[in-house]
Amino acid sequence: MRLLTSPLRRMLSGLLNCCEREGGRPSKCCSLNPHHLLPRQNFSAKPTAAELVRYWHGVFEANRIPEAQESSEYIISYVLGAKTIHSLSASSLSNPLTSEQQQQVQWLSMKRLQRMPVQYVLGEWDFRELTLKMRPPVFIPRPETEDLVSLVLQKSQRSGSPAVNAGHRCPTAIPHPVILEIGCGSGAIALSLLNKLPQSRVIAVDKEEAAVNLTCENAQRLQLQDRIRILHYDACSGSWEQLLPWGPVDTIVSNPPYVFHEDMAHLAEEILSYEDLDALDGGNDGMRVIKKILALAPFILKDLGVFLEVDPRHPEMVENWLQSHPELSLSISATHKDFCGKPRFLHIQKHKAGDSSNKKDFACPSVHLP
Amino acid sequence: MKPHRSTGLFRSLLANCFHCYHHRYSPPLVKRTGHMMELSIFRHNYLLKRVKPTMPFNDWPRSYHQDFRVLWKHEAVEKYLETLNKEYQRIGQLLNGGSMNEHDRSTLSRRHAHLSTLAATFQEIQEAEREIQEIDSMCAKLDSRDEKQLLELALEEKEIINQKINTHCKKLFQSIVPRDKHDESDVILEVTAGRTTGGDICQQFTKEMFEMYQNYAYYKCWTFEILNYTTAEIGGLHHAAAHISGDSVYKYLKYEGGTHRVQRIPETGLSSRMQRIHTGTMSVVVLPQPEEVDVKVHPKDLRIDTFRAKGAGGQHVNTTDSAVRIVHIPTGLTVECQQERSQQLNKEIALRTLRTKLYQQIIERDFIQTQNARKLQIGTRAQSERIRTYNFTQDRVTDHRLSYDVRNIKDFLCGEGALDELINRLLETAEMEALIEHLENFKSLEGGG
Repeated sequence: MRLLTSPLRRMLSGLLNCCEREGGRPSKCCSLNPHHLLPRQNFSAKPTAAELVRYWHGVFEANRIPEAQESSEYIISYVLGAKTIHSLSASSLSNPLTSEQQQQVQWLSMKRLQRMPVQYVLGEWDFRELTLKMRPPVFIPRPETEDLVSLVLQKSQRSGSPAVNAGHRCPTAIPHPVILEIGCGSGAIALSLLNKLPQSRVIAVDKEEAAVNLTCENAQRLQLQDRIRILHYDACSGSWEQLLPWGPVDTIVSNPPYVFHEDMAHLAEEILSYEDLDALDGGNDGMRVIKKILALAPFILKDLGVFLEVDPRHPEMVENWLQSHPELSLSISATHKDFCGKPRFLHIQKHKAGDSSNKKDFACPSVHLP
Repeated sequence: MKPHRSTGLFRSLLANCFHCYHHRYSPPLVKRTGHMMELSIFRHNYLLKRVKPTMPFNDWPRSYHQDFRVLWKHEAVEKYLETLNKEYQRIGQLLNGGSMNEHDRSTLSRRHAHLSTLAATFQEIQEAEREIQEIDSMCAKLDSRDEKQLLELALEEKEIINQKINTHCKKLFQSIVPRDKHDESDVILEVTAGRTTGGDICQQFTKEMFEMYQNYAYYKCWTFEILNYTTAEIGGLHHAAAHISGDSVYKYLKYEGGTHRVQRIPETGLSSRMQRIHTGTMSVVVLPQPEEVDVKVHPKDLRIDTFRAKGAGGQHVNTTDSAVRIVHIPTGLTVECQQERSQQLNKEIALRTLRTKLYQQIIERDFIQTQNARKLQIGTRAQSERIRTYNFTQDRVTDHRLSYDVRNIKDFLCGEGALDELINRLLETAEMEALIEHLENFKSLEGGG
């Protein structure tokens, strides 16, 4: 390692050992690029937040850490108790940091130097108006998914939930919508919906125990645990009866793994080294889990339909697949674009009763309460 | 020519009233004969010049409510009030009487209700004046009987009634002038450092000013939400914006808009040659926040810029860049926000700010159209005149609109009592000017006919 004096090297190797214990695959951690730490001569004895941001930005850039400026700003804001550098007051930015704070910045930045995603470094991140705990390897919510929640809110409010006065638009009012989320991860989608729809209830499932635990923890932190049921369940192998503690559900939401398997190798080191790859890999055509979700929909779903986040190539592929499986009686009723203009969200609903393409009638099974 | 002349005439008469009051002519009533002479002189002077009161505002008596009483006694005002009273009675008759359509009836009813409070106050003042007349005649009789105690009581009573009249007069005049419809609104306050030839004087000053307004918001029990805080490379603050909400925020902050100038010797150790007074400026813009319905923004008119990953985006990328920029295509207005970690929240804040700026454009258009002879302009973006100077070397803040000085800059920049007092003076002056303008308009309508 270049440009390190021996005390720094000792500290660095000590930190590396700690990082391995925290998470991430050890093999990836060790095969790191050598760390360049810039000489600290340009520091005053007590650096201010602004000075530290500049310093660590330089270190991250020298080590080719992506989003060097943002990483540095978020870490230092966090240590100072703020969400972003832009929400800090003038005096906070020019106050010198205490030595504990400096050490904390050091500690966190070292993790970032290991290509750990910032959300895991800080152990928390924001999704819409919620702050959620983050922990490797549970999947980190993407900004696109915030719009998926907006879409579900729009459609459920329009169908007459008491939160919004929409009354006459839909013949059936849904007083207490029941929402199923498949692949809840950290609980971002489930908890946002619960927060915005005070009359709703959510069943959140994930095949990874770590995700179930994290969703549980976040639900309790946000005091939403009373209206959510969190199940350890694999959509690809489980039986759908387990999904009916509250009877048939009004809507299914999911951000399922949709990356095409051949694209997995091209993902950034942050993702490959720290996030659960099963939360991303959707098989050869990226549709392995999507198909499973759509296959169980007719058994448990009422009228609002299924909302999915997908790869931009999927809308056409899903449409074709649904047409080749007429027994499901499902079709895409709308495709919505994300903020980059890419087709990203599918709204899939049951065919209406009068459709000629649908002959068989798969009614929901009768409800047994556990 | 006629309306212009009557404008000058009225102002001069009014100024005369205050002039006289200040020099304590004993009867509060204006002596008409005495003033006719001075009147012609003033008339001549004010014919062509833009109107100004004869004395600078800071010579006015501290308690402004006295002035309303004098105003009350003025002939033109009496005439105006009489006209209003007649209108009130006429509307009353119309409403009681025959048929009219629903729309006319509701319009007239509203006007009637508005005038009824005026009429009631008008009557109360007249009654109070009758009471004073009675006391006066009683006092005259008492004098001769030499009953000191009763005399004292009577004078006390008279004083109380005088106070009552003053309050009523103030209420009367305040209800004549239409309120600024934005007074109750929340605001977005923006500060921007000016350009300077060297050093960071503008940026440091901008930082201090932003903190002053933050403290003032706290002092007034408003909430102060920072929307944007962009520091300058050389230190200090380059520009910042905050959303301030609470009771009547716009009413108190509207006169803060404009250019503020600073004069100081920089504190950092420089050679004696450099230790001369530096001048800098910063600008404050205060925008009332519109209701949702006031500004229609169509999604099609917006271009929203966010971090764009190469390739598929979504699950393929992990990013922490949640900054949002919104461009309103028809007007070119651009708003940025990176205040929050959530992109959704940044977008909501940016949209809200955009609405406010669009609204401000609408308001500015309206302001330019209405002719406004007031001295106290609300600082719109078009206002580039210096409204206040902060002189650190002389420890003095001067508001140029009132020609009013405050000592102890440090205390002023704390954004508490000292700033509040200056703002209240500005408000009172503005009210007075609004009233004068309103009466002038009336006079010119009457006189011009």
